[in-house]
Amino acid sequence: MASHDVDHGLEAERGDTPLLPSERMWGFWEFSYANSALAIATWAFLIGGATALFVGPREGIAAIVIGNILGVLLATFATCVPCGKYGTEQFTFLRSMFGSNGSRLVYVLAVVFLTMGWLAVLGLMFGRSIDGLSGLVSAHQTDANGGLALASGTFAIVLTAIVVAKGPTSIKVFNTVVAPALVLIMGVMLYMILGKHSFAELMALPALDAPFDDKRVNFMIAVEVNMAAGFSWWPYIGNLARLSKNQRTAFWPNVIGIFAAAALGEVVGLLAAAALGNSDPTIWMTHIGGLVFGVIALGFVAFANVTSMINILYTSIVGLRQLAGRKLREMSWSLLVVLFCVVPVLIVCFAPGIYDGFFIFLVWTSALNSALAGIGIADYFFLRRQRLNLRHLYAAEAQSPYRYWKGFNPIALSALVVGFAVYVLVFNPQTLANTTLFSFISASLPSCLLAGLVHYGLTRVLAQRLGWGAYPNSDAGTIRTLDLDARSYSND
Amino acid sequence: MNSQAEHARAQDLERRIRVYEDMEKEDEWPGALSATDYVAITLMTLVLVVGFYLWGY
Repeated sequence: MASHDVDHGLEAERGDTPLLPSERMWGFWEFSYANSALAIATWAFLIGGATALFVGPREGIAAIVIGNILGVLLATFATCVPCGKYGTEQFTFLRSMFGSNGSRLVYVLAVVFLTMGWLAVLGLMFGRSIDGLSGLVSAHQTDANGGLALASGTFAIVLTAIVVAKGPTSIKVFNTVVAPALVLIMGVMLYMILGKHSFAELMALPALDAPFDDKRVNFMIAVEVNMAAGFSWWPYIGNLARLSKNQRTAFWPNVIGIFAAAALGEVVGLLAAAALGNSDPTIWMTHIGGLVFGVIALGFVAFANVTSMINILYTSIVGLRQLAGRKLREMSWSLLVVLFCVVPVLIVCFAPGIYDGFFIFLVWTSALNSALAGIGIADYFFLRRQRLNLRHLYAAEAQSPYRYWKGFNPIALSALVVGFAVYVLVFNPQTLANTTLFSFISASLPSCLLAGLVHYGLTRVLAQRLGWGAYPNSDAGTIRTLDLDARSYSND
Repeated sequence: MNSQAEHARAQDLERRIRVYEDMEKEDEWPGALSATDYVAITLMTLVLVVGFYLWGY
């Protein structure tokens, strides 16, 4: 490619170089729309429905609000605040704390496996919604793993790939149209539920299937499920935030989108499940609004999954481009998108059972994401005092102070292992086995806090002695500049 | 550097880094989160967590 043919703004949007404030396309409302479009999908209804299993609606609403606000804030402090300030790609920024190879490892753990899984799960949600729709309007016998559901799921992934292949501008248009319509439909659903059952009646309903006799444990499991939902945005939200105009517009829309819009969807799912005894939106939507509204709502909700898929796929591909340096950077954007979608399509076609493990999958992700958030906050806010040296971030690996040990920062990786282990010791997502500590402070909070403390403490004690990371001195408060030549490529 | 495209990219990266270094030097960050934002975030979180805990549990 000749240099004069390169649109560097477009390359930055789709690659790892820092976006300049003048190039960033999203204002407050545009990022709020993107955020809401990301948040509202069938998963919100299903998380609400799962909450109804553990607690009644009153406690459920409290668990949804408490869990989501804590998870969302901790995830966004670790990602949106730095990426919104410097316009850096999230996994390039992560080199400052994990090293270049460590950042790749985190990308593989937190994005490759999880995003491929999420794309398949959301595709199946779309497929099942279409299957349900078809059952409503015709004599079609619905089958969750039947040909129509799987073909529709595959179609959703293909549609997602087409929109993402066109880049962030098409994503912006898609979000701006779909997000307000989804919020409106949620409001109508809530209105209809409240029209059939009084608020007091709903609040008095019991849990559908509380697993423990101890009310406090059931409540904390409900909080934990919702906190996991809040933390689950960690791998994606930084690369969306860097497209917003400044740090403030990178932060506050999260409160509207992945907190409030997601919480609204979850509350609708919770109330519907509690009132109708079924957490499957394809069933309760027709019970609430009748056939016509059910068909319209289900159609919108089916496409809501696609907006979520679009946003997570875009952020994953941007991160993927920094994973293997020049080779992937030189591959065309569209080809990368297509290649990334192959595995999710195979999962939809040959392993649709992944859908049924949705909640266990979600809560397991929190064991990783909560620790990552804790390390990110400790590193960016407390060790680096909100100042990054971009020259260090983009220097060639051999010269960069972020090379740590062979490209890995053993301190951050140890902190990640500690955070993950603490989570599983306090609360096992597979069996729901838990300790007394869990019933007071959940599992995500101690995991996040301890991972952050381990990273902070070991960095203070070891990193400066070993010459790792170019951290500012704890007393001087200045960053060390090594006058590196940033003309070198990252990941060469 | 082994191609014209890489050289152009390196120049572009240098230009981008300089923009941020200038902002850092001038300490000028339009739209940066301020102390007021952090106080508002803390208060909002406290009100939501404590308020909903007392109401719901």
